Amino acid sequence: MPPLPTMTHSSSFLLPSSSPPAPPTGADAENAVSYAVVVLNQRLPRFAPLLWTRARLRVCADGGANRVFDGMPDLLPGEDPDEVRVRYKPDAIEGDMDSVRPEVKEYYSSLGTQIIDDSPDQDTTDLNKCISFITRNPPGPDNSNLFILVLGALGGRFDHEMGNINVLHRFSNTRIILLSDDSSIFLLPKTHSHEIHIERSVEGPHCGLIPMGAPSSSSTTTGLRWNLDNTSMNFGGLLSTSNIVEEEIVTVTSDSDLIWTISLRKHT
Amino acid sequence: MRICADGGANRIFDEMSQMTNDLDRNRYIPEIVEGDMDSIRPEVKRFYSSQGSKISDKSHNQETTDLHKCISSIRHRTPDHEKANLCVLVTGALGGRFDHEAANINVLYVFSDMRIVLLSDDCLIQLLPKTHHHEIYIESSVEGPHCGIFPIGAPSTSTTTTGLKWNLSDAEMRFGSMISTSNIVDSDKVTVQSDADLLWTISLRNLT
Repeated sequence: MPPLPTMTHSSSFLLPSSSPPAPPTGADAENAVSYAVVVLNQRLPRFAPLLWTRARLRVCADGGANRVFDGMPDLLPGEDPDEVRVRYKPDAIEGDMDSVRPEVKEYYSSLGTQIIDDSPDQDTTDLNKCISFITRNPPGPDNSNLFILVLGALGGRFDHEMGNINVLHRFSNTRIILLSDDSSIFLLPKTHSHEIHIERSVEGPHCGLIPMGAPSSSSTTTGLRWNLDNTSMNFGGLLSTSNIVEEEIVTVTSDSDLIWTISLRKHT
Repeated sequence: MRICADGGANRIFDEMSQMTNDLDRNRYIPEIVEGDMDSIRPEVKRFYSSQGSKISDKSHNQETTDLHKCISSIRHRTPDHEKANLCVLVTGALGGRFDHEAANINVLYVFSDMRIVLLSDDCLIQLLPKTHHHEIYIESSVEGPHCGIFPIGAPSTSTTTTGLKWNLSDAEMRFGSMISTSNIVDSDKVTVQSDADLLWTISLRNLT
């Protein structure tokens, strides 16, 4: 049986802007990585300005626009709030518009933000709609190295969180990373063998591997304190949680889609 | 019975009096403080110990989470004839580090014969084991209307509900395809029957 293709992962986008991101590895070296940011309706994590600046496309899901309007000036206290708001202007606000404040919507609309008014749709969440928008309107000519960074996807209402994790499974060919102040999570599809490059200055050491949708009868890892070795994992039994990253590269192979999670360091 | 899992004791010590405007910490003494004791502040541990809390130091056992230890402890201390009527209410299990949250949700599956409810300010979650037909009585003054049902851990080939705005009728659910999020409770009673263990969640109303 041929070996699985390798997918590499890196959180270099979390590195402070004074240090350049690590040189792209493997396939990334051919095509430069680009980022899009989606902001959902929860308090902005502390690194929101950094990621926003790195991104080429920024989309707010409905009330996420309130969070950017109110929260960006708070995260940049040394600067004039009005200037911050102009600089951190979303490219689009998408959703049914029942959470975004009218004055916030008008403010951004007058600055040129695209307002996409979708009626509520029980089959797709706000995040789903934003991901669809980004894949239909990619920031560059090439989507192959686009990473979508999502803020505000974890915590809050649990059904929203589950809907957001389901988006990772539904768009398994798209690189989507859910970020909170505490954690970063993304999908490791079973179709690939994974190399996760750890940026120790901003993430770790706590990590985990979770088979959210279906049990795994065999997962194997390297680079963790408690590695899996053809180990089975399922809800009701063993999950890899409170594990510790020990090496700069963690490898994972599994017969099931897994969610990888790693803690984010407080000074990020 | 009130149990604090390790640093949960710090939370009671610091926050209960703020929330109740009651400066008397003696009214909120846990019967047990349990866990590996790497988060509880020494002065908090001393205070509760002096007030009669049993300090159950399980630091030698690194295989299980603090919540797991607490649930084991509760099960162990509950007489058999009371087990069927026992409901364990857990605060602080959601949000924060995602791997902790997943481990806490796993506790619902590991102890699937116990009623355990995980609560946050925003919502509650509870396991609906596949072994039973479920009737969920909705207290609409405190919960709802947003709800959801999720096949975490394994897909469902057939789930049927009543009482929701978008009911399921012998429906398939799995991650990667359809799961029931942003549903709405449409009745005083919701029923659920499935071939898979499901997680039920309902939003909690802001009571301020």
